[in-house]
Amino acid sequence: MISKEDLEHLALISRINLTENELEKFPKQLDKTIEYIDILEELASDDSINLDLQELRFEELRIDEISLSDDKQLNKNITDDGFLRGPKMK
Amino acid sequence: MTKLDDLLAYEVVEGLTEGQFTAEEYVISILKRIEEVEPKVHSFITLDTEGALSSAKIIDKKIREKEDIGQLAGVTVGIKDNISTQGIRTTCASKILENYVPTYDATVIRNLKENGAILLGKLNLDEFGMGSTTEYSRYRPTHNPWNLDYVPGGSSGGSGAAVAAGECTVALGSDTGGSIRCPSSFCSVVGLKPTYGRVSRSGLISYANSLEQIGPICRSVKDLVMMLNIISGKDAMDNTSMPSSPITVPNKSNKLNVAVIRELITGSDQEVAKSVFSASEKFQEIGFSCEEVSIKNLHYALPSYYTLASAEASSNLARYDNIRYGFDYPIGEYKWDTYFSNVRENFGEEVKRRILIGSYVLSSGYYGKYYLKARRLRSLLRLELLTLFKKYDLLIGPTMPILPFKFGEKIDDPIKMYLVDVNTVIANLAGIPAISLPIGFSNGLPIGLQIMAAPFEEQKLIDASYELEKVIHIQRRPNSI
Repeated sequence: MISKEDLEHLALISRINLTENELEKFPKQLDKTIEYIDILEELASDDSINLDLQELRFEELRIDEISLSDDKQLNKNITDDGFLRGPKMK
Repeated sequence: MTKLDDLLAYEVVEGLTEGQFTAEEYVISILKRIEEVEPKVHSFITLDTEGALSSAKIIDKKIREKEDIGQLAGVTVGIKDNISTQGIRTTCASKILENYVPTYDATVIRNLKENGAILLGKLNLDEFGMGSTTEYSRYRPTHNPWNLDYVPGGSSGGSGAAVAAGECTVALGSDTGGSIRCPSSFCSVVGLKPTYGRVSRSGLISYANSLEQIGPICRSVKDLVMMLNIISGKDAMDNTSMPSSPITVPNKSNKLNVAVIRELITGSDQEVAKSVFSASEKFQEIGFSCEEVSIKNLHYALPSYYTLASAEASSNLARYDNIRYGFDYPIGEYKWDTYFSNVRENFGEEVKRRILIGSYVLSSGYYGKYYLKARRLRSLLRLELLTLFKKYDLLIGPTMPILPFKFGEKIDDPIKMYLVDVNTVIANLAGIPAISLPIGFSNGLPIGLQIMAAPFEEQKLIDASYELEKVIHIQRRPNSI
């Protein structure tokens, strides 16, 4: 059961303010959702299963080299010594 | 002669190259069509009339000067509004991004532009792709062109409805748990979720990275192949993308082995099941073998999907702090955390629910109970499907278990809404390709067949869809609007 306090905690860690209306109706709706996914408990905890669908291919990472962006406006702001000039602070 | 705005993508390219009409004439015909039906359908969030007309003029100039115009020259494309377009507002149908204008194009958009496609504008969706009807769009819902009282499906509902209503030649959607196939089924058009990795996700605004793919929605299988070949391929900007061979159509196809998934039939409306059976009979008539199979782990698929998608969403959407983009909100006297919580109140209800569920299943104590088990199921399901694909080329069933429904029917009950995705999430969990093809109507409402294949076996999907499309002629554009 998700209590109003649980909901307030979840909202806090998610950095979301809830409206009065949401505080009222969410506990019941979230309860139903959690009840629905509770069926996953039936699954055995088998550590032998590989959880990754795609192998991580570090050898295929793109080469880490500096190149110009396609953004012409951005490229205009590159100084002679290779720095990127940002807008002035007001 | 067919009306200009009714042409299929390959007919547009042919017509332009043969000088039957100019790109500008074609674009004007589409813009007129939009003017006519948009007040009823509401597919678009942003329309770029000027951009479309100026792209058309560039193509006409290239034709006059006998320059290369590209494989999609003149084809008008509507883009789901969660795919980044340089200089064109990209809202994700959210108030959080209502003023966001990307500084770069998604890879798929670059591919389209390089091939002469004309971008018409941005299409409606459920906020951040979370929903199955477009009712969760923070702007307004899109209406089903086949019956304006009904939902068009979602989350790429704007894309499905725009293609069916002839407001664009083709469209791009994105599919996290069925978001391309659901509106394709509900609007009687063809939609494909490619294999995970076939199409670059660079520039697609993330909802659940490990599940989603960009894909085409079209009025014919041939159009779909044109689009797919242009957007597929390895991209340095997305390390999960992979190289793939181009698809050909028509292809000298072998007779394929098809299996109907029993559980998907038993869980469907009678009318829907009837249409699927008659499609499988058609497959047999054209020489395919057809059997029935069962998938053991299927009833865990939807709970796993909602666990994983919500977990990924809660992390992906943490970035929306309203600092560098967003809506006007004075910082005032708020403290650091309170400011974020306040601005994030502006998310819609469904997005909030999913972020909260995501935070819940990732919390200590629940992580092993829900998140890890969902991932485990995902691997089991994939293994089970790959084993089936050793015996069968294709697995089929209804795309949607039900017919399109009326607005408001499911909006107050999240679980009822989630259950709509029960047939489509399988392909996202397993990372396999799946297409939705129109196969009939019941009371004037469209029914779609879902065909799934092994990873990167899109050619088989296309072969079967092309053959079926030839023998069952299903209307793709309604007469009523």
